[in-house]
Amino acid sequence: MRRLEYVVTTAAQGFWRNPVMSLASTFTVGLMLLLFAFFLATDRGLQAAVGVLESKVELALFLEDDARVSDVLDLRARIEADPAVSRVDYVTKEQAMARLVDIAAKRPDIQIVDTSENPLQASLEVKLAHAQDAPRVTAALRQEIGKGVVSDVVDNPQVVDKLLTITRVLSFGGLAVLAMMLIVALFVIVNTIRIAVHARRDEIEIMKLVGATDWFVRWPFILEGMLVGALGAMAATAVVLVAAGPVMNAMVSFIEILPLSFGTTFVWQLVGSVFALALAVGGGGAMLSVRAHLAK
Amino acid sequence: MVALLGRGNQLITLDDVSKRYPNGTDALRDVDLEIDSGDFVFLVGSSGAGKSSLIRLLIREELPSSGRVWVDGQDVVRMKHSAVPKLRRRVGVVFQDFKLLPRKTVAENVGFALLVTGHSGEEAREETERALALVGLSQRRGHFPDQLSGGEKQRTAIARALVSRPKILIADEPTGNLDPVTSWEIIKLLVRVNELGTTLLMATHNAEIVNALRRRVVHLDHGMVVRDEREGQYAA
Repeated sequence: MRRLEYVVTTAAQGFWRNPVMSLASTFTVGLMLLLFAFFLATDRGLQAAVGVLESKVELALFLEDDARVSDVLDLRARIEADPAVSRVDYVTKEQAMARLVDIAAKRPDIQIVDTSENPLQASLEVKLAHAQDAPRVTAALRQEIGKGVVSDVVDNPQVVDKLLTITRVLSFGGLAVLAMMLIVALFVIVNTIRIAVHARRDEIEIMKLVGATDWFVRWPFILEGMLVGALGAMAATAVVLVAAGPVMNAMVSFIEILPLSFGTTFVWQLVGSVFALALAVGGGGAMLSVRAHLAK
Repeated sequence: MVALLGRGNQLITLDDVSKRYPNGTDALRDVDLEIDSGDFVFLVGSSGAGKSSLIRLLIREELPSSGRVWVDGQDVVRMKHSAVPKLRRRVGVVFQDFKLLPRKTVAENVGFALLVTGHSGEEAREETERALALVGLSQRRGHFPDQLSGGEKQRTAIARALVSRPKILIADEPTGNLDPVTSWEIIKLLVRVNELGTTLLMATHNAEIVNALRRRVVHLDHGMVVRDEREGQYAA
């Protein structure tokens, strides 16, 4: 108990004896953690967005008016056999017209003047399980054009492509920036603890002289590093909680999809990850620093 | 060669020990030395003769380039790094520059040696009082080092070295920074510590003290033991 008390007291003293450096490293660690939290939240948001959009990815195969029903059903069966396809719906000419009438009723800019003739084509609406398969499936279905059943294949992959690109860029870019911030934070912590070690070099010398173990010498410094990390984590968590709402709104309007909800579980996971990284960086940095000193 | 290494009554044994530093300096050359339990030994010689190097080997601050070192039955050269703290708890050391922590009181400086080696606060307090009584500093327990005289600082350092009840006390020039009167006070204290059963090895330049006490004298010169006399003098 006395040993624990000694370690905790010495760690706290170490932090406050050099407040400028301690606060500077807390700030740097906090900034790194903020970036980490932002990265995690963005990644989660984009994945949810991709999921939402993927469920909406659809190809439309417009059918020749004189296509035989058996050929259409045969084609439908072949499309459904593709594992990338989650569902195929057959929309008749009449159903297509009914939809148009529905839309026209809701939008004053569209007026249907004559319904005696139906110019719309029957179609097969293909829903995909994964957005990234859209180009392959579309190319395969375009082969069917001109064989008497399919007149045209329409797809709209731009939104999904854009989102997938953003996700990829953010994943790699975010990881690269995070790695750099991690190195900076480690560097700052190592130096903060090095100053603390230097300030207490006489104490360490005497400790070693009277037979204190290396771990007894190390623990106060490791705890001091973890204290820097924990304070940085608290600051980062506070900023995340305050800024989460506005940032989410901006993100949602940028990507133009339905509002996303992260849920309480994710928030706790986020806070847990931030604190785990903070303690690991703080404690690890301090360990590196004090180990180098003890090895001298 | 020393027979029966680490056996018998010897507390310290050096067997054919040499120490060469990376810059090529030979600090110790073929040193054979045995110190029995309860001995009071002066280690004398000019600066650079190898006294401090020998002391550093005994507390394993350095390893010899060749040869074997035994302290209290332990092979200091081959012991694991993790065993070094235990060795140092059995060997108290005091230095010329006292090495006291300026922000700690006399009692805290002494008790520190026990607290950092895992003893309870209660144990540390009791042993600190015992050590302070032994060196005659009980009345000064609440003072800080800068409020003490040179002699009191050295007595604090001796109390810290003795608080964990070591078998050996090594004093490296303990009177080097003290005036003659205070030096004698410190020497009387060390003699008393030795009489109470602690083996004492003292490196010194002080010929007057060495000649007056007529204890065993080991003379080092250029890293070699050139003289080892039971009731020796500083100069032959």
